[in-house]
Amino acid sequence: MTSTRSKLRKIAATTVMVLSMSGIAAAADKPLEGVTLNVASMNDPFASVLATLAPKFKEETGATVKVDILDYGSLLTKTTADYVGHTAGYDVITMDIVWAGQYAQNGYSVDLTDLIKRDAKELNVDDIYPALMSSIGGYHGKQVAFPFAGYANVLAYRKDLFASAGLKVPETMEELVEDAHKLTDPSKKIYGFVANGQKGPAVAQDWMQYNAEMGGSILGPDGKPAINSPANIKSLTVYAELFQKAAPPGAADYDWGGREESFRQGLAATMQTWSVGAPGYYDPKTSKIIDKVAIALPPRGKGLPKVYGIGGWGLSINKDASDKQKEAAWTFIKWLVSAKVHKELNLLGAGSFLRKSEMVDADLKAKFPFLPLVAEVFDNGDGEYRPRIPEYPEIQDILGTAVNSVLVGHSDPKAALDQAQAAAIKLF
Amino acid sequence: MSHPAKDGRRVTDISSSAEAGGPFAWRQLVSLPQSFADRRRLFLVAMTIPAVIYVIAIGIVPLARGIWYSFFDYNLLRPARAHFVGLGNYLDLFSDPDMAEALKNTVLFTVSGVTFQLVLGLAIALALWRDDRFNRICLTLILIPVTITPLVVGLIFKGLLLADYGLVGYYLAQWGLSAPQGLLASPSTALGTLVFIDVWEWTPLMALILLAGLKALPGDVLEAAAADGATPLQRLRLVVLPLMLPSVMLALTIRTVDAFRVFDSVFVTTGGGPGNATNTLMVYAVKEGLSFFNVGKASAIANIALLCTAVIAAAFVLLIRRADKKANGR
Repeated sequence: MTSTRSKLRKIAATTVMVLSMSGIAAAADKPLEGVTLNVASMNDPFASVLATLAPKFKEETGATVKVDILDYGSLLTKTTADYVGHTAGYDVITMDIVWAGQYAQNGYSVDLTDLIKRDAKELNVDDIYPALMSSIGGYHGKQVAFPFAGYANVLAYRKDLFASAGLKVPETMEELVEDAHKLTDPSKKIYGFVANGQKGPAVAQDWMQYNAEMGGSILGPDGKPAINSPANIKSLTVYAELFQKAAPPGAADYDWGGREESFRQGLAATMQTWSVGAPGYYDPKTSKIIDKVAIALPPRGKGLPKVYGIGGWGLSINKDASDKQKEAAWTFIKWLVSAKVHKELNLLGAGSFLRKSEMVDADLKAKFPFLPLVAEVFDNGDGEYRPRIPEYPEIQDILGTAVNSVLVGHSDPKAALDQAQAAAIKLF
Repeated sequence: MSHPAKDGRRVTDISSSAEAGGPFAWRQLVSLPQSFADRRRLFLVAMTIPAVIYVIAIGIVPLARGIWYSFFDYNLLRPARAHFVGLGNYLDLFSDPDMAEALKNTVLFTVSGVTFQLVLGLAIALALWRDDRFNRICLTLILIPVTITPLVVGLIFKGLLLADYGLVGYYLAQWGLSAPQGLLASPSTALGTLVFIDVWEWTPLMALILLAGLKALPGDVLEAAAADGATPLQRLRLVVLPLMLPSVMLALTIRTVDAFRVFDSVFVTTGGGPGNATNTLMVYAVKEGLSFFNVGKASAIANIALLCTAVIAAAFVLLIRRADKKANGR
């Protein structure tokens, strides 16, 4: 009996020891066990991929990641309320490129400069496009977010329509405008051009893109609004004419969804867009133009330097989060932007490019043949054509109303931009 | 004056049972009013406290803060720049062309929408007056639009009216019945279309309230009028409408106040556009408050809207009282 009891005791002791050791090992393996990270994510293609990859992060580190997927307006409203009220509801927040000024001015997020320096090797910072690093999150010496999803402005066009009209792909804005008018044939329901016309951010953002390409600028050299500059008035006049004569009739009410849909349905011959939408043109389930579409570099006005619009999202860490949460959030960000995970993210359809190595990756290139163009745009990227200043949201709205009223023929370009300038200057 | 006597009896009953059932010690410790009427009053006041707290927390405090903030140039995105501006926000709004347009649009939307709803609602109510199975089924079916969230109604109409793919909008544009860019994207038709959407959704509610009013009309008066040889039109004009005035006024109050603060259907269909052609007070206030976090200006706009609504409501309440007195012959 005694020997059996002592044997049992030994077995029990060994079991306890083994179990506790494995527990220690697990704790060492999973340093973030028990931590829950709340992520506020923009409802872009990367959002669902983030949610898909979250369990993998838990497997590796122990931390649970909850992804709250929000539309643009809700994301801005909810996260701003979180920052202003210091409620620390979210730990990691996806930040649009144009919010950097606000973030920096109000100190919403952790300045990542020192962390990036500390972990530069692990992050392999040299592999990240400098234009993305500086414009997505970089602001006046601070890094308010880490770039995560870089979008390149590209020109999507219908190679069949261009070929049958004997036209080559436009390289300058002047050529694009001319071709758009030439290719328009309302009787066949073909329009040379399509862009966002809907009042608000939609029309403002698209016009700012074309405006920069035609040599205009929203801010003057002094950093103050120069909305009614002669260059801007001229560009808006050309733009309005494009809308009225060469765009689908409903375009004045298109937002991003309407614009992309009209292109996928074969209504438009050219469209400037973000690279993130490009995979959709090749999807037979949603697109009628799968073998008629091609992607090219966006045109620039004659004589203007070859720089191209970039946009996208960064990941920021809420300054109000506890130190433990902040450290976990940083671990999560490093994990997401690591070459391996970021590639996987893109293979899953996030359309969010960031690293130079991604542009030459065989798997990614096979899936996304337009990557060399994205690389070229990132190499010569301009993230400033939409001014990333704290006043950006109001300026965007002022432009959104002014440009829309010109496009629908409600007012003329000069009057609308004069009025917009008067409203914008009050913000400074 | 029979109530106090009744109440007094009841209070006596309660107190006698209380006295019989409990010792007096607690009453000596806490000095409570001795008379039963006073104790009853105290009890009733105590019972209202939760409701009062609720009203203060949910209604009065936010309202007071809204008024307070409207005197500041206060933007959540630029908290460091917040400062007191007195009536500055209001003065700015009076000279703000966007505000003028928003106010004009709101008034136009409300007046035209509610007028159409009243006329159509009255016609429907009269048609469904007789209580039979067919009318009851019709009433149920007619009420469907009211049960749909305005936001969803807006999205459905937006989808239907799109000029390039919309099930209705496509043909309207093809046949030249709308501008090529569609009804909602053309400055001349956008507000009218929103009024149409509002009429489509809310006429049934108007009809329902008016129908309830019709059914409550005293039968003997109508019979007497018929016996005196009044034609149906005379009965409608001289008997039905004057007697119905209180319910008409009630329906108008509900719908006017509601239409004046229209937001969701405008927000999802046009966002206040094209240009500012359908910008209403609430859309303007929400944009300032929740897109730009411009709390001061948004509060000022909301206060002006609230003031307008309060004036409208008060005017209607007065009219209802007057109509009620007239209808009851007092």
